Amino acid sequence: MNRVGLGRRQLLQSAACGFGGLALSGMMSDQARSASALAERMPHFPARAKRVIFLFIAGGPSQGDLFAPKEYITRHHGQEITSPVGDDGQIRVGVARFLPMAPVAPVRPRGEAGLMISDLLPNLAGVADELCMLRAMVSDNKAHAPASLQFHTGHIAEARPSMGAWISYGLGTQNENLPSFITIHPPSGPRSYGASFLPAIHQGTPLRVPGNDRDPAITNLRDPSADPQDQRKRLDFLQGVNQRLLDRVQTDSQMEGIIESFELAFRMQAEAPGLVDLARESPETLNLYGVGDGPSDRNGRACLLARRFSESGVRFVQVTMGGWDHHGDIAAALPNSCRGVDKPIAGLLRDLKQRGLLEETLVVWSGEFGRTYWSQDLSGKNPLIKHGREHQQESFCTLLAGGGIKPGFVHGETDDHGYQPIEGRVHLHDLHATLLHLMGIDHERLTYPHNGRDHRLTDVYGNIVEEILKAG
Amino acid sequence: MQVTAIRYRGFSLLAVCLLAPLAVADDAGTEAGEAFFEQRIRPLLVEHCYACHSGRAQKQKGGLRLDLKSTLRRGGESGPAIVPGRPEQSLLISAVRHESLKMPPKRKLPARAIADLVQWIEMGAPDPREGTGGSSSDSATADGRQHWAFQRVAPPDRPSVREAAWPRAALDYFILARLEQAGLHPVQDADRYTWLRRVTFDLTGLAPTVAEIRAFQQDTSPQAWDAVVDRLLATPAYGQRWARHWLDLVGYADQIGTSNNVFAEHAWRYRDYVIEALNADKSYAQFVREQIAGDLLTQDLPVERAAGITATGFLVLGDLEIVEADKAKLRVDIVDQQLVKVSRAFLGLTVGCARCHDHKFDPISQRDYYAIAGVFHSSRSVFKTARGVWSDVLVRELPETTFQQAVRAERTQRHQERLDALKAERTKAEQQQAQLEAQAKPPTEKPADDQVAARKKQIDQLASKIGQLNRTINHAEFFAPAAPRVYGVEDVDQPADMQITIRGNPRALGDTVPRGFLHAATTVSPTIPAGASGRGELASWIASRENPLTARVAVNRIWQKLFGRGLVHSIDNFGVRGGKPSHPGLLDYLADQFASNGWSQKRLVRTLTLSRTYRMSSAHSPIGHREDPENHLVWRMNRTRLDAESLRDALLLVTGQLHRISGGSAIPLEYMENVANIDPSNVNPPSFSLSKWRPEQPFVRTIYLPVIRSSSQPGPAELRNVFDFPNPSEFTGRRVTTAVPTQALFLMNSPVLKKHAALLATRLKADTDDGTKRLELLWLRVLNRPITLLEQTEAVAFLEAVGDNAWSELSHALFASNEFLMRL
Repeated sequence: MNRVGLGRRQLLQSAACGFGGLALSGMMSDQARSASALAERMPHFPARAKRVIFLFIAGGPSQGDLFAPKEYITRHHGQEITSPVGDDGQIRVGVARFLPMAPVAPVRPRGEAGLMISDLLPNLAGVADELCMLRAMVSDNKAHAPASLQFHTGHIAEARPSMGAWISYGLGTQNENLPSFITIHPPSGPRSYGASFLPAIHQGTPLRVPGNDRDPAITNLRDPSADPQDQRKRLDFLQGVNQRLLDRVQTDSQMEGIIESFELAFRMQAEAPGLVDLARESPETLNLYGVGDGPSDRNGRACLLARRFSESGVRFVQVTMGGWDHHGDIAAALPNSCRGVDKPIAGLLRDLKQRGLLEETLVVWSGEFGRTYWSQDLSGKNPLIKHGREHQQESFCTLLAGGGIKPGFVHGETDDHGYQPIEGRVHLHDLHATLLHLMGIDHERLTYPHNGRDHRLTDVYGNIVEEILKAG
Repeated sequence: MQVTAIRYRGFSLLAVCLLAPLAVADDAGTEAGEAFFEQRIRPLLVEHCYACHSGRAQKQKGGLRLDLKSTLRRGGESGPAIVPGRPEQSLLISAVRHESLKMPPKRKLPARAIADLVQWIEMGAPDPREGTGGSSSDSATADGRQHWAFQRVAPPDRPSVREAAWPRAALDYFILARLEQAGLHPVQDADRYTWLRRVTFDLTGLAPTVAEIRAFQQDTSPQAWDAVVDRLLATPAYGQRWARHWLDLVGYADQIGTSNNVFAEHAWRYRDYVIEALNADKSYAQFVREQIAGDLLTQDLPVERAAGITATGFLVLGDLEIVEADKAKLRVDIVDQQLVKVSRAFLGLTVGCARCHDHKFDPISQRDYYAIAGVFHSSRSVFKTARGVWSDVLVRELPETTFQQAVRAERTQRHQERLDALKAERTKAEQQQAQLEAQAKPPTEKPADDQVAARKKQIDQLASKIGQLNRTINHAEFFAPAAPRVYGVEDVDQPADMQITIRGNPRALGDTVPRGFLHAATTVSPTIPAGASGRGELASWIASRENPLTARVAVNRIWQKLFGRGLVHSIDNFGVRGGKPSHPGLLDYLADQFASNGWSQKRLVRTLTLSRTYRMSSAHSPIGHREDPENHLVWRMNRTRLDAESLRDALLLVTGQLHRISGGSAIPLEYMENVANIDPSNVNPPSFSLSKWRPEQPFVRTIYLPVIRSSSQPGPAELRNVFDFPNPSEFTGRRVTTAVPTQALFLMNSPVLKKHAALLATRLKADTDDGTKRLELLWLRVLNRPITLLEQTEAVAFLEAVGDNAWSELSHALFASNEFLMRL
């Protein structure tokens, strides 16, 4: 079909040393890479960040408790106020009266820049000067599933490519032995990491981090055969059968594609197990991420893996950390949720920094939305101390750090009720546009034709948030 | 700064007020007025507004142009910019005052400029600027009508060919004539093994069995091929295969929406309806009518009426966001989905674009969209439940036959007996508990500690028993025997035309559009009787020979499934941006025959599969490859990879485990551990998990396994996750086939493949002790052809090299081979 394909086939024919030998041949790898949809591509303009680590804090972390306390709210704690919510057709579940609720723990200025961070996140507070805080984030839906979908794909309801898939499509991979988009503990279904109409090779590879060092983190990465030689022999035999069929039909890009996918899989088998094996990390590093430390063990392992993949050239690594949907008793529940992520996230930032990786790695911390500054009580009977908070997509907080972002910077402000942005409003589409911009991609030019029109991650929206970009 | 106005609170109401009164003094038209405009207003607009709101702007923000009188009056997405004579009601004024929108966004206009704008509007907004701004849907429709797909189906005469011995069926003449024109030749016929494997997978989604292969080889009659096709079309496996193609267009799943695992308890009835309709070879026209308006058709028999109601599941079994709190939005979103689905599945058009603006490429105006949308807006699909913000899909009860009624009466009786027994047991336990608690409380007695402990233990045990009984009773009552129910639609009480919603916002409304159909594809205006939604009329318009799209789109879908590529390459898009037919005459010939033959799909499939064209091999030809590498002209058969369903079903068949017949509900809700939240006081709707499967489910055909929206496909259905099963929220007539490393890893290492390989090895060993015969059987079973001498030599060498696991490893290698994965 194409010249590259023919070249590949001739190589396949001339290679006598079998499957493993083929996969190890450097020449073969170059050939495969140039033919691959994952081949590395030049950005539209020089990139500030080469890779993204997206920490998805699923469920709706409470910005008022963690990062942006309101003096007005604290002053009116427990006193009924008139509704700040207009007649916008939205039902507020469990909110019979508007009772402002002060943060459940003290929130203080941290570092030189004085970013506000809760006592519940002491480790994160220690790296405050690396962070850029967006305090007037806006998205379009107040239910988890659509809001989460929008955060990942830009769209509330329709299946669209995830931002990781867009970046993979735009830039390709930097490591031919690994997928370009990996998602650890993905939220709900494949729609959050799907390639949708983009070529499927850009879809995220979902990963479950085992709580021990025995189980594989990538499905089917290991052959359960007792004898590892059996797999090798089987693949060599298979290769022969496939080769004869290919000879018979002469050209078939699909068959060649399948053969190529076997080669990448075989290379992954060799490279990925080493990468996902955390036993090789020093005790100091494990400790830094909170691995082995009860509540933070799982997220610690996930964040450590994210650093390893990122370091190995994976373009987009996502780690999802759930458990933030605090509709009730937030005073008791939030500290637990914080313990689960504080060390892992702060550890990741410190580790990236000390390895010199933070400069070119963009770290994004965000929920699909935030929570109200007033309380919610689904039972209608609990005292205020047992109340929770309702979803709030009208204004919430997102943290950024690393590649091309102003460190120790706060952008955006909301009204006294923490309900509407009054300045520095950043819509999700704007965040997506900015993220692509930092990766060297013009969000209006990264398009793919589908159903008769060119689609983008930002659809017809998106403005780059110039204010948060580091000079130079 | 985001200029899109819709996000700002309080805005939408404003837009509604603005749209109404345009009857005020139009333009004053005086010279003085125009002079005022030229001196004060035009310079102001040029300086402050044109950068974003004029023809010279890269794109007009908010869809608004202020550089022409007509576009200024028409306004943008937020509605008209001004109301002449009424500055206080003019969006432009509130925007420049930064009361609604903030315009210009960066810096407010000087007070003087704002005062000038107010005065100008008070004067009636005199404006000499002419022009229309270029958006005229009428002319687009007129041009679009010339598009081939909107022309009547016009079958040409059968073309003549030079190589007259080649064609077997009429369609072969069309194919051969084009090839001869291009100086190409059809490749040789496929051998019998390849053809049998191909037609068996294509028609039933299964591999041929060894017995079927041998029977076909031994049948020397000229009717051998006809006999195979007739046999395959008569098996239930045909409907089980082709129903899945249809479900891909529906967005079918056994879960409603993607939130909270809400099970779609009755969805399977629609799935079984489609399988039955195909196996019974229901006329495609009737199939279409039932799915749009089956509830409105007058039918005599209860089974027919039941089928009609069940069929309307087509309209509601998509990905509905039933947790959407804004019910007005939910309603217009569902209407949108129904419109998109109907127009894509039956008409091959992408009408969805016209929700917000006239279609950019196709002759489909925004008014067309709302004309059809009004039909669905006049139908009810969901209702608000008593639980939190949740809605649910409309459930309709089916008429029963007397036999069904009798069966249900008996089941109800048994159910009641069981329930009575459970409740009696609960009462007893509660009484015991009450007694023990009463004993525990006498103020005077001071019993021994061990007595207290024993009593407490007893009370706890009883409490746990009562809890268990409560759950069992709740579950039994929730799933009590009932008349068969389905998801469907019904007309609303007062059907009405729909208003345009600006950017889909149900609170920003535009003109009311009379219900109707696509102007480009019809010349007749429907008469919708008062009190009717118009679904019946819409169904009749689509399921008609007069409709230029319906038969063409259907025929092309079937052609694609059999030949690997459509005569029109863009299966779901027959619009201007879609592909042109490679063989327009053939498409029209087939479409015409299809409608003439009572819209029989089986008859069409038979004709296609018995053609010489279908019999061609998929072999290479240097000339063909040079002149037509993409095989547009069909000089050979296209090779396709098996889809997830075929792959799994074939594995089960080859290893002798397949249950061929099944049906009924997909999620085993009869197991209590799979169901939660059925207590009606719960704020969330009933939900499911899949912790327990029915014992036979690992072996049923894949179409009968649950389709899940919110997570990857579960349990025995996991193959779907690996091999390109379409996202159930999408409607797609053609699946994407990928080759990604996760598939390779699955084929190389997954326990599933290992297990099948081991089973096949066991089966082979049981069949015969003779190694050569085993190899023959293995090749016949997996690749459906005899083993070659070379392969035999290599296989023997492999078996010797591997040792203990040899037969299993060899079977595994064949399962992972391209020849097994592909249909040639």
